[in-house]
Amino acid sequence: MSESNPTVNAKQTRTALANRSGATKSPQLILGIILTGFVVAITIISFFWTPYDPVGIDVESRLTPPNLSHWFGTDRLGRDLFSQIMVGSQNTLYVALVSTGVGLLLGTSLGLAAAGSGQRWGAVFTRISDIGIALPSILIALVLATTLGPGRLSVIVAISFWFVPVTARVVVGPARQILALDFVEAAMTHGRSRLYIVFRQVVPNIGPIVIVQTSMMFAAAILIEASLSFLGVGAQPPTTSWGKIMMDSQPLVQQAPYYSLLPGAFIVITVLGFNLIGDGLAVLLDPQQSKKGVV
Amino acid sequence: MFRVFIKSFALMVVSALSGSVVIFILLRSVGGDIATVMLGTKATPEALASLRESFGLNRSWFEQYGSWISGVFSGNLGEAYSKQYVISTEIVQRLEPTLILTFGSLFISIPVALAIGVYSAMNFQRWRGAAVDGIAQVGLAIPQFFLALVLVIVFAVHFGWLPATGYVSIFTEPGTAIRSMVLPIATLSLGITAVFTRFVRTSMIEQMNEDYMRTAKAKGYTVRSAAIIHGLRNAAIPLVTTGALQIGALIAGSVVVENVFTLPGIGRLLLTSALTREAITVQSLSLVILIIILSMNLFMDLLYGILDPRIRHKESRK
Repeated sequence: MSESNPTVNAKQTRTALANRSGATKSPQLILGIILTGFVVAITIISFFWTPYDPVGIDVESRLTPPNLSHWFGTDRLGRDLFSQIMVGSQNTLYVALVSTGVGLLLGTSLGLAAAGSGQRWGAVFTRISDIGIALPSILIALVLATTLGPGRLSVIVAISFWFVPVTARVVVGPARQILALDFVEAAMTHGRSRLYIVFRQVVPNIGPIVIVQTSMMFAAAILIEASLSFLGVGAQPPTTSWGKIMMDSQPLVQQAPYYSLLPGAFIVITVLGFNLIGDGLAVLLDPQQSKKGVV
Repeated sequence: MFRVFIKSFALMVVSALSGSVVIFILLRSVGGDIATVMLGTKATPEALASLRESFGLNRSWFEQYGSWISGVFSGNLGEAYSKQYVISTEIVQRLEPTLILTFGSLFISIPVALAIGVYSAMNFQRWRGAAVDGIAQVGLAIPQFFLALVLVIVFAVHFGWLPATGYVSIFTEPGTAIRSMVLPIATLSLGITAVFTRFVRTSMIEQMNEDYMRTAKAKGYTVRSAAIIHGLRNAAIPLVTTGALQIGALIAGSVVVENVFTLPGIGRLLLTSALTREAITVQSLSLVILIIILSMNLFMDLLYGILDPRIRHKESRK
């Protein structure tokens, strides 16, 4: 299969290059953008408008299945489920945004520092970050919830606590490779400062990896936040979140399956969307890998 | 090999001890005073002082840490604040469901992922391979608690085939125990199966292009037998590394799964202790979980050497 005629190979390469000119090469990316775009749009709209008052209790019509006036039905207190899901997305995306931001900032800095330091420190760094990566955020969140109390802060700290070593570990390898290249040496012989080398030479070159990583972490953060809220450690009333809605729906799962299924579907759509963006970008930014089919 | 084991074991002990310091500090520095949390803000200073006295909270951190760690080595972790149980016996009792859950999921997901991953790698430029990848992608996006609820709706509520809750020890009633673990294990397996499948697929595709695969085909193997006999062993090596990382995810997942299916495991104990502010239980339990994760990592490290002779020889030459 690799024994093909060289002209065919050249032709294949040309078509591959032509196709790569846009996002057309990556249907995953497009699907990911559509899915996340939909969720982000709903979140933005929810700040200004929801079909019903999300906290408007109407005990008379509690647990009404989906119908024309309540698209997603009502919850255990008769609140409109679609409005609840719209508002719940705010907390979910907020937690994901903050924890990814913190993890990215601290993790990239640490990874760059480790890449620039000597071999001995590099080994120590690897060991510590390995332990950090092995510790699940849910465990850290539960430890924090014991003292800080359950709530958004514990969740954000716990997720960031895990993202820092994860990002650092992703950054350190490529950063080391770039530091070993000739243009870095050239910059050093020209007397450029360390900061110049880091920000003008290393950071732009590891940018693609960091962008892919960001989108994957966003997806992970949404999953972790939802799980913690479901366990009662995350969002506390009056704040709501998708996981919290599902926690309330769990005892009623026999009577009202839609009450669990609809918010769950939103979590799946969002996580899938961000993961697809990450995968699609990985293919797009690294054609060498995509040719082998490695995603 | 023996020297590698001693070295890894020593590293594990050091990691566990540093982890214990982190847990200890996290539980004391971040939040409020445990006595105030337990008695409420309206408690009298005398009541607070006597509570602190009885738990030894008035001693210095150094002393508290020392007595905790010596307790860990002697197996005496003290009693819970609520005095309802002795912590070490409680943890030992609750290990059974958690271990059945996590190991059951590992034993199911690894062979399934190997089979699906190899299949999808052999079909990687066809729609079948892409379909497998798409399904794995969706599997990654489903939160465990959601899958658990869907499985309960379908198999427990709609068909009534399997119980949604309840747990009996596998030693007393094996039949009922296995039935009650089917849905929890299925829930926990899905996510890691998806992760493993993607890894097997990726590393298998890389192996398919290696020279030794061409040699095997030239010797008369079919693509499938070459892939299974030669490719799989090489593709399994990165799987071991991911496997080590997935141990933490499995433990985290068992916290969620045990709570949905009300299994009396350590994940459930951890959550109830955290929500009732049982700091002393959370402290020891987190350390136990950390040790489980680290020892699985150690095991994976050794397995790595067994699977890949290149690593084994390189390590022992050092």
